[in-house]
Amino acid sequence: MHKPPDLPPAAPDPSPAAPDPSPAAPERPQVLAIVERAYRGAVEKQFVDALYLALELHRRLGGIDILLRGQAVTYAARDARVPPLRLGNRVVETLTDPRGDVRRLLDAGVRVYAEEPGLAAYGMDGEGRLLDQVRPMSADEAAARWSTYRMVCFL
Amino acid sequence: MGRPVPHTDVMVILMGAPHESDQTTSVLRLLQAMLERGGRVQVWTCGYATHLTRQALGAAKQRNIASWTTSYPSTATLVQDLLAAFPDQLYWYGCQFCSDDRGVHDHVPEVILRRPSSFAANSAATGKTLMVGVI
Repeated sequence: MHKPPDLPPAAPDPSPAAPDPSPAAPERPQVLAIVERAYRGAVEKQFVDALYLALELHRRLGGIDILLRGQAVTYAARDARVPPLRLGNRVVETLTDPRGDVRRLLDAGVRVYAEEPGLAAYGMDGEGRLLDQVRPMSADEAAARWSTYRMVCFL
Repeated sequence: MGRPVPHTDVMVILMGAPHESDQTTSVLRLLQAMLERGGRVQVWTCGYATHLTRQALGAAKQRNIASWTTSYPSTATLVQDLLAAFPDQLYWYGCQFCSDDRGVHDHVPEVILRRPSSFAANSAATGKTLMVGVI
């Protein structure tokens, strides 16, 4: 008696209810970028700062969330301005403008959070101190969210 | 005999690296403020601060893809502007040893390179010395 050959496994049910094998992009970003070191060379960097890079990461990694922490929460200060800088006979008006960077990120669809201890430390925990759409977040919640991201990085 | 060092009111020894903090910005602002008040100032750069005046930086930074026609002056250009605006008040020295150590062989011509052994002469030719940053 010969044992009949094993049959190949049954093909998966092609019913419409089957999950899509190539799901679309996840609904929420898979990357959390934390910015906690602020003001790293307004004259040297000018436009080439960490948030300029962040916009590229957002485009290339399928979306990122940004958490501003420590002094970097002031990047989202609604009323802060970057004054021009006179050097020699030149007026430099192209210094790093973190508020402008944050606005560009928000316009590109990046969700920007500001950690509450930093907001309190820099007097920004009052009403109307933050740019619109920048959301305060407690330190506990920020830490608890790490596990929901595929990647957490510091910029 | 070494090159004579003009006497200045203040000597700023800039050691901190650029691109790490707003220290360079603060120092340039301080220089401008002192020079506008008629002060005579010398800057001595050590460590990575020697990179501020590299010719390789060019006159302007690279293009900004988000603002294609905007020109962003390099730090080398800004230092040259300062020196041109205050010709008898500001002197910019670069440490030869640190420049060699960090591959900075292309300072803009206005920068006077000095060996560490010359430092005492610069230090003696100033009223106050301000050391900014660490190597």
